[in-house]
Amino acid sequence: MKRNSKNSGERPNKVLVSRTLFVASMCGIVAFVILGLQLFKVMIIQHSYYEEMAVDNQTKETTVSATRGAIYDRNGNVLALSASAENVFISPYEIDKYDEDIDLIADFLSELLDVDRQSIIDKAKDTEYWYKTIATAQPSEITDQIREFKEEYDIVGVHLEDTSKRYYPNENLACHVIGFTGSDGNGLDGIEYLYDDYLEGTDGSIVRLKTSDGSDMLFTNYEYYFDAQNGADVTLTLDSTIQYIVEKYLDQAIEDYQIQNGGCCIVMNAKTGEIYALASRGDYDLNNYLGLSDEVQAEIDKITDPDEKAEATKEAQAEQWRNMAISDTYEPGSVFKIMTLAMALEEGVVSESDSFYCGGSVDVLGRTSPVKCWRTTGHGSQTLAEAASNSCNVAFVNIGLRVGAETFYKYCEAFGLFDETGIDLTGEGSSIWWSEDVFCDENNLSQLAAASFGQTFNVTPIQMITAVAAACNGGYLLEPYVVKEITDEDGNVVYEKDRTVVRNVISEETSEAVCDILEQVVNGGTGSNAYVAGYRVGGKTGTTTKTTVEAETGTREYMVSFCAVAPTDDPEVVCLLVLDNPSKNSGIYISGGQMAAPVVGQILSEVLPYLGVEPIYTEEEMQYINVSMPYVKNMSVEEATAAIEDAGLKVKVVGDGNVVTEQLPAANAEVATGTEVVIYADSEKPTKTVTVPNLYGMTLSEAKAALDNQGLYIGISGTLPTNSSVVVQSQSVAKGTEVSYGSVISVTFVDQSKVGMY
Amino acid sequence: MDGRTYDRNEEYEQIDRDLERYNSSDKTLGGIDMPFFILTVLILTIGVIMVLSASFARAYIEDGKPAYYFIRQALFAIAGVAIMLMASRFPVAFYRRMSSLVLGIAIICLILVPFIGTTVNNATRWIDLGFTTFQPSEIAKLGVILFFASMICQFKDKMQDWRYGLVPFGVILVIICALLMLEPHFSACIIIIGVGAVMMFVGGTDIKWFVFGAVGVAAAAYIIIVVVGYNSSRIEAWLDPFSDPQGSGWQIIQSLLAVGSGGLTGLGLGKGRQKYLYLPEEHNDFIFAVFCEELGFIGALLILVLFSMLILRGYWIALKAKNRYGSLIAMGLTSLLAIQVILNIAVVTNLIPCTGISLPFFSYGGTALLVQLLEMGIILAVSREIPLKPRRRRKRDDGPTE
Repeated sequence: MKRNSKNSGERPNKVLVSRTLFVASMCGIVAFVILGLQLFKVMIIQHSYYEEMAVDNQTKETTVSATRGAIYDRNGNVLALSASAENVFISPYEIDKYDEDIDLIADFLSELLDVDRQSIIDKAKDTEYWYKTIATAQPSEITDQIREFKEEYDIVGVHLEDTSKRYYPNENLACHVIGFTGSDGNGLDGIEYLYDDYLEGTDGSIVRLKTSDGSDMLFTNYEYYFDAQNGADVTLTLDSTIQYIVEKYLDQAIEDYQIQNGGCCIVMNAKTGEIYALASRGDYDLNNYLGLSDEVQAEIDKITDPDEKAEATKEAQAEQWRNMAISDTYEPGSVFKIMTLAMALEEGVVSESDSFYCGGSVDVLGRTSPVKCWRTTGHGSQTLAEAASNSCNVAFVNIGLRVGAETFYKYCEAFGLFDETGIDLTGEGSSIWWSEDVFCDENNLSQLAAASFGQTFNVTPIQMITAVAAACNGGYLLEPYVVKEITDEDGNVVYEKDRTVVRNVISEETSEAVCDILEQVVNGGTGSNAYVAGYRVGGKTGTTTKTTVEAETGTREYMVSFCAVAPTDDPEVVCLLVLDNPSKNSGIYISGGQMAAPVVGQILSEVLPYLGVEPIYTEEEMQYINVSMPYVKNMSVEEATAAIEDAGLKVKVVGDGNVVTEQLPAANAEVATGTEVVIYADSEKPTKTVTVPNLYGMTLSEAKAALDNQGLYIGISGTLPTNSSVVVQSQSVAKGTEVSYGSVISVTFVDQSKVGMY
Repeated sequence: MDGRTYDRNEEYEQIDRDLERYNSSDKTLGGIDMPFFILTVLILTIGVIMVLSASFARAYIEDGKPAYYFIRQALFAIAGVAIMLMASRFPVAFYRRMSSLVLGIAIICLILVPFIGTTVNNATRWIDLGFTTFQPSEIAKLGVILFFASMICQFKDKMQDWRYGLVPFGVILVIICALLMLEPHFSACIIIIGVGAVMMFVGGTDIKWFVFGAVGVAAAAYIIIVVVGYNSSRIEAWLDPFSDPQGSGWQIIQSLLAVGSGGLTGLGLGKGRQKYLYLPEEHNDFIFAVFCEELGFIGALLILVLFSMLILRGYWIALKAKNRYGSLIAMGLTSLLAIQVILNIAVVTNLIPCTGISLPFFSYGGTALLVQLLEMGIILAVSREIPLKPRRRRKRDDGPTE
């Protein structure tokens, strides 16, 4: 029994069996069912959630940069272009991991990239980083050397990555229109900013699996490619040639007149609103948009306090980026008389046969003192055209009063002077006007009177030129624009802009009458210095003093401008030039007529032939035109003489050979008709240099004699030098310059008989 | 038989009787349990292949030898199968005799570990034998099962009494756990407490102590976690892994990404991506995550079914075992296997907070694998002593023996 009981103790008893069954069901079935359900939840129900996150985690995206679109002028000349380049960066982590010689790397990179050696060493110290930029947008000549270096020394921790660099081949040209991109390649100003969405394109990418430490995974074939969509190309309405002409003369004017606050010039297609050229000063090199001009930089370098210096640099940069032509407002002065004239004619309150008397001043309701004419002695009795020619303030006050304040105000609005023009550029400014209530006050007509000759309100240059275009092109207010077309990389046109008429302001007849009168302003009137031989140019001068500046500082600053339209029988272009604050020290009388008009004349004298407008010379003009010197080398003396005489020049033969060996001046030089040129037959031409004389203030015959004396030739531009009050205002080569014997000096004549603040 | 203490002499007498019977009844014994053996080898084979798949990326990146872990694991597996077959040849009574020795060695090793052990990640758990390292906690698990079974057989019906059924077992568990926490080795504590508790439960300890124990553990856990704030980052990572994705949540997030991206059919064997240095311990504690990623829900379910079958077969052996001791060690060793499998998969799927428990037959680790296969061999030894059916028939012919 004892043994049996022992045996029973050695056999599994009831408790053991039942509890083992319980444990078995728990550990063998229940727990596994729970685990199976949990696996189902994670692997099936939450599958896509975790899979997406896993792929996100496990993949690396290598960007394939889209190439930014180019910017072209209307003729397809490149204004902005992206070229591929590479960023240089180091991986401090890898340099540390593979124990690479940082001194060697720093020596090489600092030398090649012109980077501070110590800064590279400092960056390499952050060994947990994989990416420290050393230099951006390096061309292949540089990066190829880095590749060689990496190979030679078996360096892993120096890397290159694709990027692109923006090039502006014309540097400063049209900088305010084109704008620039930042170091990240995004447009920051101008077209680059405004049309960034088109230009930038869409980056592509390659998605690959990576291990947790960033290297490629083995034995996997998970790889996706997303093609880059390159940026679209933008074609502007701008014409590089016209832009170049405009900038050349604008710079010349700023120098000649010692302009203190810069200036701007716009050339616009009168019929379509396309901007051919738009320039503001100061300007900057688009390739180095942060860089300042040498003079400004020198001024800033004088500042010792670093904060002030940084502040001054910022201000100077903002100043040079500011696009005066569309951002700044100014008092247009007498140029605005074009608008007064147009609305008066349209309303029929004046006719071309009306007579306007000017006694030097006129009383206006609401003013304590009478409005004075710029010519205080008065203009006497004038026709409408004469009043415009004389830029008579008194006459225009009367015309404005006839129009009436409310109508006047409505026309100003109709000419687009209250609204922004909508030009597709950044930073367009808004005009400053009286409110309608004040302007139309029946008991105070002083605002109306002043506005009639363009004072007491402010508009932007782009508003002014757009309004003048409307007055001259048949009455259509246009939306000015600079982007003509955008094409994607496959050549599809994705954006296109044509002439956009905002509204019709005046009738075609009125417009024609305005053009006629403006032509008379240039033809012997106050705008005569804008005269271009062979072309029918109309225009209006403007001169204002800055009353607010004068009130604040006590010094008088001027704003001189000229707005021209040509040809007046069928206007092609409108050109507005505004110069801010000429210096009294320039020696030239400060007025739109003496300063701005000749510059606009010079611009048009090149732009009109360029645009293919045929010149038609009068008998009188024929005496003063320039002709091209023909190429006569290797011709017989007889043939050469005939060719030169056919061109309208006189010939002097030096030497006794039969064949022309040399000629003076050179072929294609533009010289005044009737000039005696020299051909050398078996004889040497003089090779000496001569000093250019000072021609300022000389009449044509005096200038000719002075140049002749030095063995130089004359080219003529500007007002016809028909009388002794027309004298040289500027010369193409500065006085005192050494030039080779037989060079042509081009001189610009202005009429100084009618100087005045008009 | 009325002594309150464990009587070694009586114990040895019983063992001698069993051995005598074992030797005299050689022809009546069955062979090893084939279903259990085949399931073990099958799971082991899958596990070794998974070690290759899970480890080659890290092995290649770190040492340039992609098959390094695989070759070592395969060699240990072959040796382990030999040990398993050898172990299955010993009589159950032999293990009963060895029980106190095994536990004694385990405790001595655990005492020695703080002095001679190898430290990895601030934990001193390994003893370096030169050619390999081993964890004394693995021996301790085996020791506890063998010795607890022995005590249960000794105490028999007195297990109901807390002085027999609770105190001696509790003392041993407290000593071992105290030593383990010195290392520290929290997960081994949980496993040993778990398997010890199962042994006591099956052995007949009064149910109320388990109820008290469960309440006590819950209260302690509440105090430690909520009031003291210990391990709170691990708990937070469990409740919301994304609260600290780069820190405490990293491991579990990477595991969930691997398991979750497996989907129904997986990425294909060897094609997993999470093992590329994302998943920590990818060939060890988290090898099942790689398995799920590569073989999908279907594969994972298959492994669950195989483990479940193996475990149920282990309990079946325990139930069929001829004597009480064999039944208890088969039950204990099967429960040990079950607890480790369940806890490992529960961690990988974020069912419970993260703790370092390896997956038997899958996780890389030579000596652990050898010990596991030795344990399977012991279960097979128990299965060998299950009486054959003809013997049963004869038993019925003999009529009731008691």
